[in-house]
This record gives sequence, structure tokens and C-alpha cells, in this order.
Amino acid sequence: MNSINKQTITKMGLYLIMAVIVIVMVVPFVWMLSTSLKSQEYILQTTPQLIPDPVTAESYVQLAERIEIFRIFFNSAFVAVMTTLGQILVSAMAAFAFARMEWRGRDTVFLLYLATMMVPAVVLVIPQFILVRSLGWINTYAGLIVPTLFSAFGTFLLRQSFLSLPKDFEEAAFVDGANRFTIFWRIILPLSQPALATLAIFSFMGSWNAYLWPLFAARRPEVMTLPVALGVLQSGPRALTEWNIVMAGAVVTVIPILLVYLLAQRWFVGGITAGGLKA
Amino acid sequence: MAGISKIRNWGWVLFFLAPSLLGLLIFIVYPITSSFWVAFHEWNLLSPPEFVGLANFQELWTDADFWRALRYTLLFIVMYVPSVFVLGLALALLLNTKITGISFVRTATFLPVVASWVVVSLIWKWIFNPAYGLVNYGLAGIGIEGPAWLFSPTTAMYAIVITSIWKDVGYIALLYLGGLQSISEIYYEAAEIDGAGQWQKLKNITLPLLTPTMFFVLITLLINYFQMFEQIWLMPMPNSSADRQLEVIVTEVVKNAFSYNRMGYASAMSWVLFAIIFVITFAQLKLQDRWVYYELD
Amino acid sequence: MSRKLGLFIVSLMLIISIIPAVAQDNVTIRYFTFSAAPDHLEDLDAIIADFETQNEGITVEVTTAPFGDYFTLLQADVVSGDAPDVFELNYENFVTYAANGTLLDISEYLSGDAPYYPRALEAFQYEGVQLALPETFSTVLLFYNADLFDEAGVDYPTEEWTWDVATLAAEAINALGEDTWGIYQPVQFWEFYKKAAQNGDCEFFNEDMTESTINSEACVETLEMMMSFMENGLMPTAAELSGVSDSELFLNGDVGMIVTGIWMFGAFAEADFNWDVQIEPAINQHAHHFFANGVAVSSTTEHAEAAAAWAEFLTASETAAQVRVDSAWELPALDQPAYFENYLELTPPGNREAVFLALESPVTPPVIERQNEMQDAVNGLITQYVDGMLTAQEALDQAKDAIDALIQ
Repeated sequence: MNSINKQTITKMGLYLIMAVIVIVMVVPFVWMLSTSLKSQEYILQTTPQLIPDPVTAESYVQLAERIEIFRIFFNSAFVAVMTTLGQILVSAMAAFAFARMEWRGRDTVFLLYLATMMVPAVVLVIPQFILVRSLGWINTYAGLIVPTLFSAFGTFLLRQSFLSLPKDFEEAAFVDGANRFTIFWRIILPLSQPALATLAIFSFMGSWNAYLWPLFAARRPEVMTLPVALGVLQSGPRALTEWNIVMAGAVVTVIPILLVYLLAQRWFVGGITAGGLKA
Repeated sequence: MAGISKIRNWGWVLFFLAPSLLGLLIFIVYPITSSFWVAFHEWNLLSPPEFVGLANFQELWTDADFWRALRYTLLFIVMYVPSVFVLGLALALLLNTKITGISFVRTATFLPVVASWVVVSLIWKWIFNPAYGLVNYGLAGIGIEGPAWLFSPTTAMYAIVITSIWKDVGYIALLYLGGLQSISEIYYEAAEIDGAGQWQKLKNITLPLLTPTMFFVLITLLINYFQMFEQIWLMPMPNSSADRQLEVIVTEVVKNAFSYNRMGYASAMSWVLFAIIFVITFAQLKLQDRWVYYELD
Repeated sequence: MSRKLGLFIVSLMLIISIIPAVAQDNVTIRYFTFSAAPDHLEDLDAIIADFETQNEGITVEVTTAPFGDYFTLLQADVVSGDAPDVFELNYENFVTYAANGTLLDISEYLSGDAPYYPRALEAFQYEGVQLALPETFSTVLLFYNADLFDEAGVDYPTEEWTWDVATLAAEAINALGEDTWGIYQPVQFWEFYKKAAQNGDCEFFNEDMTESTINSEACVETLEMMMSFMENGLMPTAAELSGVSDSELFLNGDVGMIVTGIWMFGAFAEADFNWDVQIEPAINQHAHHFFANGVAVSSTTEHAEAAAAWAEFLTASETAAQVRVDSAWELPALDQPAYFENYLELTPPGNREAVFLALESPVTPPVIERQNEMQDAVNGLITQYVDGMLTAQEALDQAKDAIDALIQ
């Protein structure tokens, strides 16, 4: 009898913690959503109201009127998807070279990779801008995608993951006559799905939310991305009182990544059996 | 025979490494060396750079604003990194269980991560609002008068640390989860056969095998947070003393580069920051042999 | 194979035949602006349309950026050798760009009969050379909540008001209730130099700009006077405001008077109470902010004549003036009362004449090359004074040291 009670109490305790976590994480966003559904007159109230009354989608309509929302949304999506795919491929290949192959100078070169992560991006923007301009890539998709493919973060993340896979795999595969690429493609990558999914999420998110580089590199509406467009929206004197439109923009920005996360999560969890603690 | 296989090995290394390394050299390393060169000049972008030798670095040494920014950066790291390191791990262990509804919780913790700091700062500035916000409302409920959080530097620090933890803990947990779920089943099965309990599994299998991920998390946190920028730029209330005095190194860099037109000085500051981060990371890399296991014996 | 070759040659010929059609005498001028987005893009298009009709062969291409990022992006363009042909500048940044040779001497291209305000035209000269054209101006006035004045039984502000009288009015209104404030006037750099001009004896610099005199007795007095409103409870502190902006405070009907710019006319039109404007009260004399935006031609442009023509049209043509006035998109810096007739008719506010009356006592910001650093330094010290960490004298002494270091 006692052990059942103890288990129930533990379980209830866990559920309580879970509930608190969910509330803490989610409530601020509920507020954001509710503000976006308020009509203009109700925003500047001194007592914050969580449920809007009346509910209206007028801020979204106004958002679509002020900026070319569909084109800009497409730009963000296209750039984010291409950047994610590119980053994963490039980083995985480099991580493989660092984690599963022996060669002279390997650790030094890896240190170089790490070192590039330690310089604040802001000082690099101007030289990068001059470089990309001389390539003729300003205001093109290439200019938005290519320079961002080579962050050392992805390589670092995947290297750690590849390192934790047992070494025996390669030996067995070599015996069977496989070459490096086959090992990479058919063994290492499939086994690293959690890490790949993680990188996919971060790549997508990084590209989707990026403001500084796209601000410089993509100013025309044909290539402009969401954060930059919303920045323009928030800059007029009316923005002070038009929080509902600002929040509508925020909602539009958050929802796609959430969807990507949900998708990637399935990939993430799907490849797993009982890897951790059981409740 | 050994010679040929060595060449073949190099061939493979190049094949895998080339795209990444080439891109890195062109788009990252070259601009980095450019900015290094600029650090020895005074440059307002409108006129050609003017060589000043070590003047920028000398100025940094006596620049009270820089040292203040460094102090605040360190303060933030000391408060934030251990907290989120531990909380993230605890959260990951929780999320890795099979309780019903856990994937819902997982999604919930990731919401703050995907939102940009622009959005998050808007929301939390409201929550920390001294007169209308939730925090002081709650504190008043238990009889405490809450401070003007985002108006003065010290209290703003606390508020920003809390907000940052809220925002990042899901991300850190996700990184740990990746590591947790990569731990091969075999180890747990073997342990179970040996009769190991939950706590022992955690201590002898999970934690040691998680050390590569922990290493990654620690290095990433340190590298990222020495360069922290957005929350300090966005959160303090405009024209308050928090706004005017709470600066970290990268906000100083941005001010000098884009507001004061001193690209050279900003570059010099970035390079000093780089040196600091490099030394710390290098130390971590050397220390990793002591505590990071890549395979269990 | 030959089929493919034939196809290729035909396509090549088609392409080649199109090129001459495109590479005509058509000149494209690139114009970069911050004031047009997000609210006035259509108005700008209307001006462009008229210009292109009157100037066949010239096309104007517009890029915009938010004000906060604008100058960074402009610098990036200049440094990468691709500056826009024509771009906007505000007065504070004009000096930097002029001093670095990025602007074209526009005087030789001017038609000569554009009716600019002489004072505005001078503002955009550097060492005697006309390097930009004044585009718009705005000024800062006293806005007051007429209903609150009625409730407190106080007469509305007049042109003869001094700050002593204003203080009395503020006290009366403040007494109306706990949530009602008498006045709001920020204690920061821009307000400070204007108040210094109203005082008349406080100068930020000495005659030849070699030393700062910001810590003189008159200046300390001025700063203390600005602070007195908060000290006497007539004006909310930052913490009491709790993140509400001064505009929101006014719109909520919680403050009797506020000092802010005429660009708020549009936003304040939504107010549900009666309000109006008046020129600012004087200390020893009147002084009003004169903010101006200008338009400049890049010194590296390849189409100087076309670019200058556009710059002049944008700043001085009747079309441009009318569009601006009708859409409340700032005011053209032109000495043509006829253009402003419509503007004066609009309400609220009723007393729009104050806008032009204020122009009789204009004050421009003290500008040095390291402008932003000076502003930040002075603002930082003023904030410390406001928070009670320094006395006014201490704050201004340190400000003097900081500024002296910057003008070396």
C-alpha cells in the first residue's frame, strides 16, 4: 500500500512541476497572441486583460496592408529552408572529418573553427558586406544564404555527437568493403538523427530570426525577410500605440518556427527507444 | 602501400572538409583578418582608415566604460551560466521520461527559444513593469514592494538573468536531450542485468556519457554569453539609469562601431574580447581530458 | 546537336536585340530615405511620378530603412563604393558627412529660384559650400490638455507665458488628482540645450569651440530648474511612469502639459479630449527646437545633374510641398505661406500658427564631429543627476571634462 502511495505522490509532484513549467513558459505568449487580437482602442488599458473582448483580426489585416507580407514570408521561408539544408550538409561533412578520421593538424584546424565563434559578429558585418557586394550578391537570395552556411557551431555540435558513437562501427564496415562516404551516409548520419534534428532546428531558427545580416544584405521587398520588415513597421511614430499590429507581426514570426520544431521533434523522438530514465 | 593509403586518406579528408573550410575561410576568416587590421586604425567608414598603431588598445586600457562593460559581462555570466547549466540538465532529465503529456511540456519549454529577443523583451518588460507588471503584483500579494526592475542597473541585471534563463533553458535542455538520447541502449541493458537502480544508472552511465554534451553546452554558453548583446540592448527602460549604465562588451562595440563611427576602436575592443574568450575556451579544452568521457571503459 | 546550336544562337540574338532597347538614355537615380517608410511611401511615389513626368529619361528608385538603422546602412553603402545617388540626412549627421567629403557641392546645379527659408538653407552649408538642401523641418511646442485646464480653472497658455506662470498652472492641474500630473518635460540633452537658449546665459561651448562651458553657473541653474518639476511632484519620474511613454501619458489624459514635437499631431488626433498647442514659455527669452532634414547628392554619383534635379524637386517643388502638407508628412522648409494655408486650417490643434511663430526663435543642436558620443556622455551624467547620484554642479563638471576630451 505504502509504495503505491509513494509512487502516486511522486507522480503528482512531477505533474505539478510540469504544469508550473508549462504555465510559466506559455502565458507570456498567450498575452502576445491576445494583444494581437485586440482592436486598436483596447490596447492602452492600464489593467491588462488576458482575454480580448472583442476579438478581432484587424491587426493582421493591417499588417498585410503595411508590408508585402506574403512575399516577405516566402523569402524568409525559402532562405531558412535552404540555409538549414546547406548548413546540415556542410557541417556534417566537416564534423565527420574532425570526429571519425585521423589526420595531422586536425585539432589545430578545429581550434580555428572554435576561434571563429569567438569574434563578435557585429564587427564582421562591414567586411562581409563589402565582400558580398563585390560578388554582386547584395539583394539576392545567394547573398542571404551562402555566407551563413559556414558557421562553426553546427560543425562543433555534430562533431561532439559523432564522437560519442562507438568506434567499432567503422571497423566492421571496412571489413565489409565499405568506403568512407558509405560509412558517413549509411551509418553515422542515421545514428545521429537526434543531433541532426537539433541542428536543423537551430539552423532554421537562426536564419528565420536573423536581423543584422539581412538588414544589410537584403533591403528590397523582393528579398526582404520578416524581421527586417517588422523592424520597419515598428519605426514610425504611430508604432508607439499600435501594439496590436506589432504583436501580430510577432505572432506571424513565431508560429512557423514552432511548426518546424514540432516536425523536427517527431524525427527526433522517432529514432529513439527507451534511452533514458523511466518514470 | 602505406604511402598510397595516406594520400587516399588525405583525399577523403579534403573531400569532407573542403566545402566547410573553404566557405569558412572566405566568408568568416577573411572578414576576421580584415577586422583585425582595422583595429590598428581609426575609421569612420566615410573616409579611408587612418593608421594609429596601438592607440586603440591603449585607449581601451584606460577606458572606464570598457571596464564597466567587462564587469557587467562577468557578473551576468557568473549568475546565469551555472543556473541554466543545472536547470537545463534537470529539465532534460525530466523531459526524457515517458510520463504522459511530457512531449507537450517539451514543446512548451521550446516556445521561448524560438521567439526572437525582440518579442521576448516586449513581453518581459511588461511583466517586470513596476506598476502594472505581474512580478510586482505577485510580490505585493505577499507584502513585498517590488523594485523598479528595469530602471536601475542592479535590479535590471536580475530581471535580465531571469528572463534569459526563461528563454534559454528549453534550448539547453534540448541539447542535453540530444546527448541523452544518443546514449546507446546497450549500456543500460547491461547495467540492468547487473541489478543497477535508477540513481546508479544516472551516476555511472548517464552523467559520464553526457559529459561530451555538457562540454559542448559549457563551451557554447561561455562563448555566446561573453558576446551577449540583445537582451542588454533591448530590456532596460529607455532613458533610465539602467539604460545608460548597464552595458556589456558587445553593446559597447556596437555603440562605437555604428553610433560613434569608430570602427577601429570597436574592432580593437572585439579583439580584446576574443582574446578573453579564447583563453577561457583553450583552458576548457585542455581540462576536458579530466572530466569528459567519450566512451565508457 | 545542330538543332541545339541553332536554338542557342537564336536566343543569343534575341538577348542582344533587347539590350540596346534597355541601355537607352534612361538614367536611374537611386534615392535612400528614412522618413518615407512606413507611413508615406505612397506620398513619395506621387512626388516621384510628377518628377518623372516633367523629366523624361530619369527614373527614381527608392530604398528605405528605419531611422535607427539608416545611418549604419548608409555608411556601409558609402564604404563599399556604392553610395546612393541621393540620400536623406538629418541636421546632426550632416556635419559628419560634409566633413568627410561624401557630399556633392550642389550649388552649381540649382535653378536659383527655389524659395527656401534662408536660415534652413544656411543650416546645410559647410564651410560656406552648399552641400545639401533643406527638405523638411519640425519644431517642438507646448501641448496642453484644454479640458484639464478648464477643470482646474486656469487660463490657457499664451504667447507671453514664462516658465514661472507655467509652473503655477502645473501646480493647479496637479492638484486635481493623484493620477493627474501637471507637466511633462524630459530632462535630457536636447531639452537641456534648448532650455539653455531660453535662459540666454548658458552656452555649451566658448566662442571658438575650443572648450566646453557647460558647467557655468547659468547652466547649473537651468538644469536645476528642469529638475524642479520632478522634485516638486509636478512631473512623474521614470519609475512612476513605469514604461508608459510621455505621448501615452498625454493621450490618456493624465498630464496637463507636455513638450513634444509637431510630428505628434497625427497621433494625438485620436485623443478624446480637447487639446491645443502654444509656443513654449520663456525663461528670459524664447527658444524652440529647429529640427531639419536635408537631402544631399553623393559626391561619387555618376549622374550629378539628374540627381541634383531630383533633390531640388523633392525639396522645393510645389507638388512636393503640397503632398507633404496634405499628408502631414513633416513641413517643407519653404518660405511660401500659400503652401501652408491648408495646413493652418486643419484641426486639431487649432493654434497651428504657433508652429511658425516658433520659427522666430529657433535653436539648433550644438554639433561637433563626435556628436553621438557627446550626447551619450551628457545624457549619462544628466541621468545620474536625476537619480540623485550627483549634484547638478558635479554632473556638469564631469560633462565639461567629457566634452573637452571629445573636441580634441
